[in-house]
Amino acid sequence: MSSTRLPPAPPLLPAFVQLVRVGMRQTFAQRASWLGRSVFLVLILVIFERLWRAVDAEGGLPGFAARDLVWYLAITEWIAIGMPQPHLSMEAEVRSGEIAAVLARPVPWLTVKLAEALGALLVRMSALAVAGFVAAWLLAGGLPREPWGLALALPLGFAAAALGTLCYALVGLGTFWLGDATPLAWVFQKLCFLLGGLILPLALYPDWLRAFAEWTPFAALLSGPGCLALGADPASAAKTAALLLGWLVVVLGLLRWGWSRALVRLDGAGG
Amino acid sequence: MRTTLAYLGALLGTNVKSSLALRGAFWLQAVLMLLNDLLFFCVWWIFFERVSSVRGWTLVDMYALYGFVAFAFGFYAILATGTRDLAQRVIDGELDALLPQPRAVLPRLALSRSSAAGWGDIVFGLVLLGLGSQLDPLRWPVLLLLALCSGLVLAMSCVLANSLVFWLGELDGLPRQLFEFTIVFSTYPSALFTGGLRVVLFTLIPAGLVGYLPAEYLRRPSLAGLGLALGATLAYSLFVVWIFGRGLKRYESGNRMSLNA
Repeated sequence: MSSTRLPPAPPLLPAFVQLVRVGMRQTFAQRASWLGRSVFLVLILVIFERLWRAVDAEGGLPGFAARDLVWYLAITEWIAIGMPQPHLSMEAEVRSGEIAAVLARPVPWLTVKLAEALGALLVRMSALAVAGFVAAWLLAGGLPREPWGLALALPLGFAAAALGTLCYALVGLGTFWLGDATPLAWVFQKLCFLLGGLILPLALYPDWLRAFAEWTPFAALLSGPGCLALGADPASAAKTAALLLGWLVVVLGLLRWGWSRALVRLDGAGG
Repeated sequence: MRTTLAYLGALLGTNVKSSLALRGAFWLQAVLMLLNDLLFFCVWWIFFERVSSVRGWTLVDMYALYGFVAFAFGFYAILATGTRDLAQRVIDGELDALLPQPRAVLPRLALSRSSAAGWGDIVFGLVLLGLGSQLDPLRWPVLLLLALCSGLVLAMSCVLANSLVFWLGELDGLPRQLFEFTIVFSTYPSALFTGGLRVVLFTLIPAGLVGYLPAEYLRRPSLAGLGLALGATLAYSLFVVWIFGRGLKRYESGNRMSLNA
């Protein structure tokens, strides 16, 4: 009786790096997509620059100048628009049954999705950073009062987008149970908007809601880096970095657990 | 005409039945969408706690604006989700199966898919429209008519964005982004937009037709305003149908062997 030996799985890290590069190349090739997102970011900034100027004309928000609020929004929107949404392709592959064929590959399906999304993130965030910076500068009429905050916000923005991408992947695993992850993704996105302070800094929220938001990952995702446009505070940047790291560990753990449950579910339901 | 309408009605009925067959998923999607809308609107509640009005727009006006847009999205999700990936379906040659059939292609495509989440939008939209009209029942028939116009324009904007594929080929995510632009712009007070941007928002990105025109009618009711909203909807819809028809003439088969059961 002869036994068939499977070839050894490739080392995960080099494979992951290669997949990240594939994701970067794929995203870079989709110029219309990331250029469209850049235009979208600029248009959002145009809308809110008008909104904040209109608010300023009617008395304004105490302690918040229109100029700084434009920069705040440039950072939060940069992260929100820049984070890829791997749940879309995850959902499509689960629903079409394509996942059954992909599962046999040596690199786990979820790892492939995360690596490709990370590659997409690097390209999209870079393109959006340029578009957002130029647009915010022109619309705000200069840099924020403490421009060093932008230098601190840059790495934190990339880290926040990476955390957001992992959250979207977690949402994508929901397809195994719900058959459609999109409504979950909408709720996640809107929780980001509301509890992350996408449009309004959390300082403008009612006390109870601000206190609640700060216990969630959303505050670190958007408001944390965004607030650096309102004041370059290294302590606040360090707190945001620590929170992002902590939530990253939690979400990675949840992904690992969710993936193992999803495989059981797939086995039970069929690919 | 009557048989076509009966056919489309049957298609819609089948879609709705199909959505309802998975009762748990149906309710989950509808409720999550309702929650999604509610969460998004919370930002405006917080905003108007701090600011009483923006260029004359108050929270009540925002109820009306969001009400129309939410209803429009629900209308689109239930009746026209099939147009969401129209560009990709053209690239994949999926129209091959539809072209030889005796019914019009566009309604068949639009009704080929339906999203249960749209029911959550419809409910949220109606609640906000109730608040925006200060619960005046006399205004409801007109509001409903305008809401249907908003939905039609939004669905048509999706068709138009996707129809670019007939001339430009592979579009990546461009149609979806153009569609998102329409939704995003339609949810902000029209008073913020002036000059060239305002022209764009009533033509290229028809956000003005989805949200502002009906909301303006609610702010200042007039026969002229109503006529403008209805006329603009009709003109835009006919234009999109014409563009789609022109594009269809350029369609080339995807040469894919597939079975459309």
